[in-house]
Formats: sequence, structure tokens, C-alpha cells
Amino acid sequence: MPDALVIEHLSKAYGKPAVDDLRLTVRAGELYALLGPNGAGKTTTLRMVAGLLEPDTGSIRIFGIDARADPTAAKQITAWAPDEPLLYDRLSPMEYLEFVAGLWGVEPGPARERAEQLLRWLGLWEERHQRCESFSRGMKQKTALAGALIHDPRLLILDEPLTGLDAAAARLVKDILIERVRGGGAVVLTTHILEVAERMADRIGIIRQGRLVAEGSLEELRAGARQSARTLEDVFLDLTGEAA
Amino acid sequence: MRFPVGSTAWLLAHEIRLAWRTALRGKVGRRRLIIVSALLTVGTAAIGLPAALFLRHVQIPITPVTVAVSDVALLALFSLMLSQTLSATVETFYTRGDLDLLLSSPLTPRKILTTRVLAMAANVFTGAAVLITPVLLPVALLGHPTWIAVYGVLAALAFGACAAGLVAALALFRLIGPLRTRAVAQVMAAVIGGAFFLVTQVRNILGAHQTSVWMDVASSAARSGAGGSPLAALPLRALLGGTGPLVVMLGVGAVLLTAATLWIGRRFDDIAAAAGGAAILHPRRPSREAPFARGAFAATVKKELRLLGRDAALLSQVLLRLLYLVPLIILALRNASGHAHWALPSGVAAVTLMVGQVAASLSWITFSAEDTPELLKCAPAAFATLSRAKMTAALGPLAVLMFAPLVILIVISPRAGLAALAGCIASGLASGLINSWRRGNGKRAEFLRRGTVSYTVAIAQFLIGALIAAAAGLAAAGSLLAPAPFFLAGVVLFFLRRSDQAIIKAVS
Repeated sequence: MPDALVIEHLSKAYGKPAVDDLRLTVRAGELYALLGPNGAGKTTTLRMVAGLLEPDTGSIRIFGIDARADPTAAKQITAWAPDEPLLYDRLSPMEYLEFVAGLWGVEPGPARERAEQLLRWLGLWEERHQRCESFSRGMKQKTALAGALIHDPRLLILDEPLTGLDAAAARLVKDILIERVRGGGAVVLTTHILEVAERMADRIGIIRQGRLVAEGSLEELRAGARQSARTLEDVFLDLTGEAA
Repeated sequence: MRFPVGSTAWLLAHEIRLAWRTALRGKVGRRRLIIVSALLTVGTAAIGLPAALFLRHVQIPITPVTVAVSDVALLALFSLMLSQTLSATVETFYTRGDLDLLLSSPLTPRKILTTRVLAMAANVFTGAAVLITPVLLPVALLGHPTWIAVYGVLAALAFGACAAGLVAALALFRLIGPLRTRAVAQVMAAVIGGAFFLVTQVRNILGAHQTSVWMDVASSAARSGAGGSPLAALPLRALLGGTGPLVVMLGVGAVLLTAATLWIGRRFDDIAAAAGGAAILHPRRPSREAPFARGAFAATVKKELRLLGRDAALLSQVLLRLLYLVPLIILALRNASGHAHWALPSGVAAVTLMVGQVAASLSWITFSAEDTPELLKCAPAAFATLSRAKMTAALGPLAVLMFAPLVILIVISPRAGLAALAGCIASGLASGLINSWRRGNGKRAEFLRRGTVSYTVAIAQFLIGALIAAAAGLAAAGSLLAPAPFFLAGVVLFFLRRSDQAIIKAVS
């Protein structure tokens, strides 16, 4: 099976480089956490993978598909969920899922069944006909996640997926992500909550000034950092040069 | 000038500063200021100065006829102002913006409402004042200085319209509940705004001779002696600069507005909270679970139709335009059966123009107001498919509405009917294409007013609509010149076109 995501020599500059000759590989069946300080280039990288930004140079392959040469095929198996939920305030969750399923060309029958399954799973079934404008941040985040999962993507890209979620919802989302990975899909996420990366990620990439400065499991990262670095937070601060 | 922190004046100054910055924000704002200034200057030179010279030595007598005419004119103006204030009051209740911040502060709800109401009154007054200034100012400066009191009468009307708007909005809130008030109030505002025009067209619709209904009303009022009563003459005396009548009008307006604000201010926080929670209190449940749409095109059409149907402010705008269409269609149909020579082509041209305008409103919001452009961009659906779907959703409802009248017109007068059909299709499509090519980029909630559209595009759009309307009118008259304006419209349209790639780049 090809790797879920292969990024090679990826660069993007807005005057100064935001992503600089980035190389990164995410295997199928892996949850990969991309960490870095603010402005390190995490979101820019993910937006290029999702097809929202055109890279200046470099290549992106998603499950063997060249995302720059055949963006439609790559988008078909990818889902993107940013930190600000992509929702229509005046649509209900059911109507929103119908629209997203249509965009990804999911057949109406299976799409409806999957929408019901997702909304029940995420605890939104009772609110399925309520407009999203009245939802809390967490409910909006869960609706957007249901939208990202409606077409059963093989690669799920999440930017700060746990922002605004309460403990129960955060646990639910973590369980969903782990299940996706166990099913052979791949998840790439950014997070500022290092504990999430520490507990969930199979591998962690640390990005700084648009370049990958370290990559590996938590143990591998610890080994590469100074001796006193015991937690991921220590490793992160050490590698990003942000230690006090 | 600095006002005490937390005072009504301080809050009002904050609102004015925000409104001023929003109005003049960016290139569009500066261009808007330049265009308004230019129109005021040209209006003053072209209409105001000649009018001032003509009226220099004319004295308006206070007779039953002049009293009745001025009363009717002010009544019409009041109805237009009420239409605006009713709509604005409801938006004050429902639009969150910084309302939650203000209501969570130690400021009293009454103070917050007072500020909003004063801003509303200022807005309504300014709209009317800007329109009459090019004429009134030269007239007042060159011979009738007391007529400057017209501004005072406008202010009194604005106060009264705000008070009536507040009471009407609260009455709706109580009668039909927070869930329906927004949509119903917007529709009511459109009907009140259009009522004046519809009444002027009653005679045309009924087939009577071409005289003004308002002149008839004024004449009968004068004949009945109503125009001679001191109360009826009060507005005219105030308009002409009578200090006493002006003070009375301003006083009555201010008292009404203060009473309404004090009354509603006490429960403003409850109203705003109920309005904000309307969707939570009354979730809409469809009678049955409908099947999902198949594919990107169908799903997008369905989504856009849902969003259009739930946009109360847009529905109000569209309804207002449709109200203007009704007498034109009836007129065209009646003239078609009567074989009137020029009335029918004029009706066909007017209908074509109005259809283009309604299509412009619908397609503008459909293309430009997109809450989740990123979702569309990361979906595997083709840009062209989504654009076609949006066009279908924008123009479909109009096609359904116009179908029956156009079929009837074709049956009664085939040439005029076919000309109207072709004109409506062309003007609708042209409006749709322009708004697709020149689409903006913003969230739906920011598009309550058409103010953010580019002036260049708005002017080009109107020009193309007028040219197609002229072509349809000429075709209805059987003129061989009909293709000429149609060709010109095509040329202008050609220069506005953009490729899909250029559109994507422009909105990214």
C-alpha cells in the first residue's frame, strides 16, 4: 500500500518563506501530529495538502495520487477540517451533510445512512433539524467533523481539531480519529495541546520556520533532544528553541 | 468633543464613528463618497439652481389644495420611512454584532436601544435630506430662507417613523413570536414601501384614464374642506418655515419616539435574548425525512434555494421589486388585449428591466455571499458545475414566477409576448453572468445590504439591463432597430467576462 501522504521539497513564500523545502511522509494507518510554534508553517502546509493553496515548488502525493497533477482525484479521498468550522449558519446539520455528501458525489441513500450514523455518534441527532447558528462552538466543531467524515476519506487533515470541545466531546473525537487510523486511513493534525500529540500520535513532526526540524515517535524525539527533556513539551521547547 | 463615559451621547458617538468608518472603508467606500458628492453637485447645478431661479419670487399660498397636496406627499414619504425603520428595528433585535457585548455591560438596555434608535432616525433623515438638498439648498439661499425648515419636518417624520417602526416590530414580536417576526417584518416593510407605488398605479391597473390617484385624493380632500382645517395645514405651515407649527411637529415626533423607546427599552434585553434564541426555542422539523440530493449540482441548487428562502432581508428586497413588477405586467397584459401602440412595448421594456433587476439581486447574493468558500475549494466538484448550480438556484424561482404571465402575454399578443420572453431570459442571464464573473467574497450575514457591490459593476449591470429592455421594447413594437441595443448590451457584457481561473484568483 502506498504511503498516505508524501511531501517532497514543498515550498511556499509570502514575501518570506512560510514553508521551505519541506519533506514529510505519513504512512497509511498512522496518526501524525504536526507541531510547531505560531507562524511555523503548519497551517500553510496543511492548506497546500488540502488543495486550498498552490505551492510554489514541490510535490504532494496522497495515497499515490499526485495532488498537483490530479487535484480532483486527490480531493476525492481527502477531508480538511480547519480550526474555524466550515459551516452554513442557516442550514441544519442534516442539510449541511446532504450538501457536503453531494459535493463529494456520495450516493444519496448511503449518504443519508452515514449522516444519521455520524450525527448519532457525535450526539447531534436530536439537533439534526436545528440551524447551526444556534449551536455552541463545540457543536459546530462536531458538525464540521461529521461533514469531513461523510465521504469516508482515506486522509483526514485536521487543524486544531479539539479547539472549543468539552472533555467528553474531545474524547469522542479522539476515539473517532483512532478508529479511522485502525481502519487503514491516515490522520494528520496540528495541535497546541501537546498532551494530545503525546498520547495519540504514532509519529510527531516538529516544524520551525517552514522546515521539519525533527520527526519520529516520542521516544525517537526524546533521544534526539537534550538529556533533560523528558516530556514532549520539553522536547518541543528544546527543538524549537523556545525554552526559557 | 468628549462625552462622559457610558452616557447615551458617548455610546451614540461610538456608533456614529463605527458607521462612518464602515461606510468609507476601502476603495468602495471612498468611491461611494466621491459619487455621492458628484451627484449632489450635479443635482444642485442641473436642477437646484434653475428651480431656485424659477421659484425665487413664487409664494406658496396656504389653500385647501396646497395643504392637501403637501399632506399627501408627506404621508407618502412617511410610508417610505416607516418601511425602512420597521426593517431596521427588526434587524436591531436580531443582529448580534456587538449587541451581546453591550448587553453584558453595565449599560442599561434602555440606553443601548436609545442609541440604536437615534442612529436609525439619523440614517432615515440623512437618506431623505441627501435627496432634497440639491434642490432645497439653492431655493432656500436664493429667495426662501425659511424653507430650510423642510429639514426640521423631515426630522419630525423620521422620529415618528422610528416610533411607529418600534411599536410595529414589538407588536409583531408579541403576536407571532420571535421565530417568524424577522421574515414577516421584512415582508411588511417591503409592502409598506411598495404600497405608495401600487396605489399610484391603481388607476392604470383598473384601466381608468391616466390621472394621478394622489392628485385625486388631494382634490377630494380639498373639496371636502379637510384641507382647510388648522391641523391639516400644520405640516405645510411647518414646511414653509412657521416656527410654531415646526416646533409642534418636532415636539410630537420627539415625544412619540421617546415614549416608544422608554416603553420598549425596559424589555429590550428580553426581546434581544428571545430573538437570539429563536432558533433554539423552535427548531424546524420537516414533516418527513427527505431523500438527499444526488451529486454536486443538485446538492448545491438545494442548498442555495434553502439559503435564499431563509434570508429575510433579501426576500424583502426581492418582494419590493416584484411588487413594482405587478402593475407593469397587468399594464402590459391589458394593453396587449387593447392593442395599444406604444403602451405595450413600454410595458414589455419595463418588465424586462425589472426582471433583470430582481435576477441581479438574487444572483448577486448567491454568487458573492459564500459562508464556506474553503469547503467548495477542497471538494472534488468542478468550479463550473458549482457556478451553474448557483445560477440555476438564483434564476429558477424567477423563471417559475414569470412563466404564467409570459405565457398569457404570448397567447394575447404573440410578438410582444415572445419579445418579453426573450428580453426576460436575456436580462436574467446577463445579470446572472455578471454576478458570476464579478462575484465578491464574503459571508452571507455581511450581505444584508447591496452596498458592497462595486459601482462599476452596478452601473454596467444597469446599462446592460436597460439596453436589453430597449431591445425587447423595440421588438415588441416590431421595430427593425431591436437588434442594435441588444448587440450593444452584448459588447458591454463581453468586456465584463472573466474566465473561471480569473474568478477563482479574484475571490481567493
